[in-house]
Amino acid sequence: MSQSTISNKRLQGKDLINVGIFTAMYFVIVFAVALLGYIPIFMPLLCVLVPIVGGIPFMLFLTKVKKFGMIWIMSVIMGILMLLTGMGFYSILVGAVSGLIAELIYKSGDYRSASKAVLTSGVFSIWVWGNFIPLFLNIDAYFSTRQGYGQEYIDALTRLMPPWMCPVLLIAAFISGLIGGLLGKAALKKHFQKAGIA
Amino acid sequence: MPAFLLNSSTGKRALVLDPRTKLLLLVTMAVFVLGGLGGVQMENFRLALSVVPVFFLLFSMKWRAAFVFTFLFSVFYLMQIFLIPVTSGVVNFLVIAMTGIVTRFMPSIAMAYFVMSTTTVSEFVAAMERMHLPNQIVIPMSVIFRFFPTVGEEFTAINDAMRMRGVRFGGGKVTAMLEYRLIPMMICSVKIGEELSASALTRGLGAPVKRTNICRIGFRFPDVLALALCLLAFGMWILNSFFA
Repeated sequence: MSQSTISNKRLQGKDLINVGIFTAMYFVIVFAVALLGYIPIFMPLLCVLVPIVGGIPFMLFLTKVKKFGMIWIMSVIMGILMLLTGMGFYSILVGAVSGLIAELIYKSGDYRSASKAVLTSGVFSIWVWGNFIPLFLNIDAYFSTRQGYGQEYIDALTRLMPPWMCPVLLIAAFISGLIGGLLGKAALKKHFQKAGIA
Repeated sequence: MPAFLLNSSTGKRALVLDPRTKLLLLVTMAVFVLGGLGGVQMENFRLALSVVPVFFLLFSMKWRAAFVFTFLFSVFYLMQIFLIPVTSGVVNFLVIAMTGIVTRFMPSIAMAYFVMSTTTVSEFVAAMERMHLPNQIVIPMSVIFRFFPTVGEEFTAINDAMRMRGVRFGGGKVTAMLEYRLIPMMICSVKIGEELSASALTRGLGAPVKRTNICRIGFRFPDVLALALCLLAFGMWILNSFFA
């Protein structure tokens, strides 16, 4: 018996498959929203839109999380997927940290607390901010990799992204994550609990 | 819809590459062509790298995909060369943005298509295990790649249904538009996911033993060529950025 209780606390194949399914769902939704970023004005707004819309599948994911590590793994994998879609490696670093913090927050609520879940959604959303770091570290180097989009795009984006935007975007991602979490909670109540899924 | 992604059967293949080589090729394309690493200095190399997927598609006998990719890429590339100097204002901005996005995305999409359509889930798992990645990454990753086409398929179906109901862009209600698409898609995905995990469990994915794998993967001559190409790209970037 003791053997089985120990292994129950560790991540099983089923949990990892759940992580995969929800990460795929989350990624597709995030990707669809992120395509708006080609309109310059939407670029900084992505830090708001992505967490808000992404909060809905993320909250559903949290109802499946019962063991340590699932949120963290999802966060790291989102970082890997960002690397594969050409957004640079910063989101892996940011995601590894913010994912761990999000995990610890949700764990402190025993993987049940609804208010902690909203907070978790906020902290988790910080990985979005990781995609913007290259813009602030060295904006010229960043745009040397974006020549194909034309000078107007670059000018518009440079005006939109002064250095003080960096912390603002971080906070925006966090707050939007909270809003997304609340939205997700409402969606859970309205649709998923009725359907017996959450 | 895309039944090609990560098939369980191999089908006929002329060119056999190790899945690890394919992954590196994908990363190289993503980093240099899509991500634009290396900037203006590597412009010509980037163009050369952009046409590489055609050869992989041809060698794996994906005639249609090779044709579509070549056609789209050349049209947009020629537009980039000839239309940008002669237009101005808003049209110019649109042409630049459109051609920039297409020429940047197409090569990576073509490469991803090649990788996905010629790799089975088992091979993918075998490769990741050879790379000594932990199970916590291997299992979710293989599920994710298996799952993308499913999500896409569901999304198209739901979109059709919603169009029939008149829930669409410009319908006035943004929230309803989003809600009526997101929620059904999530419910479908969860249901499909449950079936998927049941089927995976019967294959011993959750068992506390080391799984065996019959896929024979390993580096052969074509791999060496492909790896050399990737190394060349990264080598050039290092030379350019640290010794120039």
